[in-house]
Amino acid sequence: MTLVEFPSMAFAAIACWSAGSLLQFPAKSSKVFSTTSWLLMISGTIVLTWFLVSYWMVLERPPLRTLGETRLWYATLIPVVGFLVESRYKIRWLKYYCMGLAALFLGINIMHPDVFQKALMPALQSPWFVPHVVVYLVGYVLLAASSVSGWHNVILNFLGKRSSKGESMSHYLALLGFVLLTFGLVFGALWAKEAWGHYWTWDPKETWALISWLAYLGYLHLVTMKTDSRILQWYLGFSFIVLLVCWFGVNYLPSAQNSVHTYSG
Amino acid sequence: MAVKSNAGKPLFGTGGFRGASVFTLIVILAGFGIELLTSARGIVMPGWPFNLLFLLFFGALIFVAGLMFRENDLVSWLGGIPLGLSLIIGLALLSFVGGVLPQEKYPPDSLVALLRLNGIFSSWPFAFITILFLFNLGLSLVWKTIPFRVANLQFMLFHGGFWIALSCGLLGSSQLQRLVVPLYEGQASNVAYDRNTEQTLTLPFSIYLRDFRIDQYIPQFALYDPQHDQLIETRSKQVPEISKGVRAEWPGIGSVTVLEYLSNALPDAQGHPVPVEVNKGVPFARVRIEAEGKVSETWITSGGPHVKPQYVPMGDYFIVMAEGDPKAFMSDVMMKVDGGGDRITATLEVNKPVDFQGWKLYQMGYDEKAGRWSTLSLVEAVRDPWLPAVYTGFFMIMAGNVLFFWKGVKKMEEA
Repeated sequence: MTLVEFPSMAFAAIACWSAGSLLQFPAKSSKVFSTTSWLLMISGTIVLTWFLVSYWMVLERPPLRTLGETRLWYATLIPVVGFLVESRYKIRWLKYYCMGLAALFLGINIMHPDVFQKALMPALQSPWFVPHVVVYLVGYVLLAASSVSGWHNVILNFLGKRSSKGESMSHYLALLGFVLLTFGLVFGALWAKEAWGHYWTWDPKETWALISWLAYLGYLHLVTMKTDSRILQWYLGFSFIVLLVCWFGVNYLPSAQNSVHTYSG
Repeated sequence: MAVKSNAGKPLFGTGGFRGASVFTLIVILAGFGIELLTSARGIVMPGWPFNLLFLLFFGALIFVAGLMFRENDLVSWLGGIPLGLSLIIGLALLSFVGGVLPQEKYPPDSLVALLRLNGIFSSWPFAFITILFLFNLGLSLVWKTIPFRVANLQFMLFHGGFWIALSCGLLGSSQLQRLVVPLYEGQASNVAYDRNTEQTLTLPFSIYLRDFRIDQYIPQFALYDPQHDQLIETRSKQVPEISKGVRAEWPGIGSVTVLEYLSNALPDAQGHPVPVEVNKGVPFARVRIEAEGKVSETWITSGGPHVKPQYVPMGDYFIVMAEGDPKAFMSDVMMKVDGGGDRITATLEVNKPVDFQGWKLYQMGYDEKAGRWSTLSLVEAVRDPWLPAVYTGFFMIMAGNVLFFWKGVKKMEEA
């Protein structure tokens, strides 16, 4: 499958998520609707996974090189976090935000289509390429979910409907996300040593990866200091902005002109 | 680390965070003050053996302070979480400066240069905050390690690994050598250049370059719009690779079909391409162009050192051929210690460095203007005696991370 099919696959996924979400209303009182709703929502993600796998095969390289490709992974993975959280914690609202974010990222990809390009520069041809980027992407997905959940908790708090379960969930999502950020950072350093001769060169992307890591390290220390959880929800809500800068904002910063990490997409 | 639903402590009321933040800010300002007063010269890392002596002294100081003055209010504050947190924020803010501003030369009288914001990672404020951070981290590590408890293993591995990686990485940077070795095919060299000091050095061994070669992806063809200096997208949204039978269509403009493809050819006296040995020629393709109701056939080529590129017009545009991007580039080398002794043959390739005599040799670059005809290969020779210590830190961080993940998942299950 190539990029020609991408818009229809993306619209199919969004249609599945939308229809599944709408059916959640009657699903509260009907098992048939509930099953159909879940089948539709999961189908949306399966459609994207199918596209991702077949695109990988046609590209003959991991589709992890361009910004558009990372957005595609992100859109595929983030609804899964929402589904898993619901199945484990019975928290229903997170999945809507996750599917919404996924649809937004698919929309960006439709508006800014990638160029089909098989070439993979020699530096990226490494066994570290897939683990480094995938670990980071899963980390980003978990931290995005924790951020969304943080904002949701902030709103609930304003409405006087504070939920300890919701706050606990945003914490654990951030904790798992931090673990993956740490792995991503160390994998990146080990790879850099093999590819570029040194594990740390203060490349702008590396610097921003450190800033994002420090932001979540700060969060974990705030938790240890038993900081008011309501403040922590704000913190998690805003922290994701740092990750967004690291992911693609860094390309637009003055420092990016000398980066080895500027995406080609 | 369960989050309590009842009100916890407000951020600025917690044990000394406000004081720690003010202290951190003063330290940063003092660092910038030193930069202003010393013409922003920054810090110079002590060289061997003073870097090791500093590390040992610093480590001993942390041990003594942590073990003998544990009850002292100042030591307790210096190793406390509030200071640790404010130093994390301090490090993040200084890194933010380095992540936004290009770390390169600025006009000497600009504020950026006067405060050394363009060399923030070797500046006094960064050094002060890092030293305090290592002191804080070290004290907390000593307190969690002595007396030893298995329950603290994750803390010890993660924090200890971070301490080792950070301290050894920074102190070892004065001994890090990254040298560029230009090599020409059929010649040996032991001359290397330091890009930072712009000095020439002699390596303890020489490298003979037998062959440098580049593998490329298959050439592609595209429709170029000279008016807007851009490529026109095909119907299939692909930049087509050239191979016999491939057809590309540009809606409303026309189509091109590849009738014949010669990956290595040179033009004969009449200008017709004739196949030659691999890597001796350039790619040629015979294409059929269908546009505005007309059909024509012609040869196109991306050209090379002795062959001009051939492109053909199609309406207001041009059909052009582009050489494939480099897929891999590598140098077959023989390295030997000067005056006899150790000798090896190896292939240097990106992502596949080779170890020799305590140096790691990397395929770094080539003459990009000459492309695959380059006879120059740039090799980087790297020596970093502190690498094993830094890697020990990395692996401790990862081990601590695995335990953190496991503990986190367990607590999450219980939540």
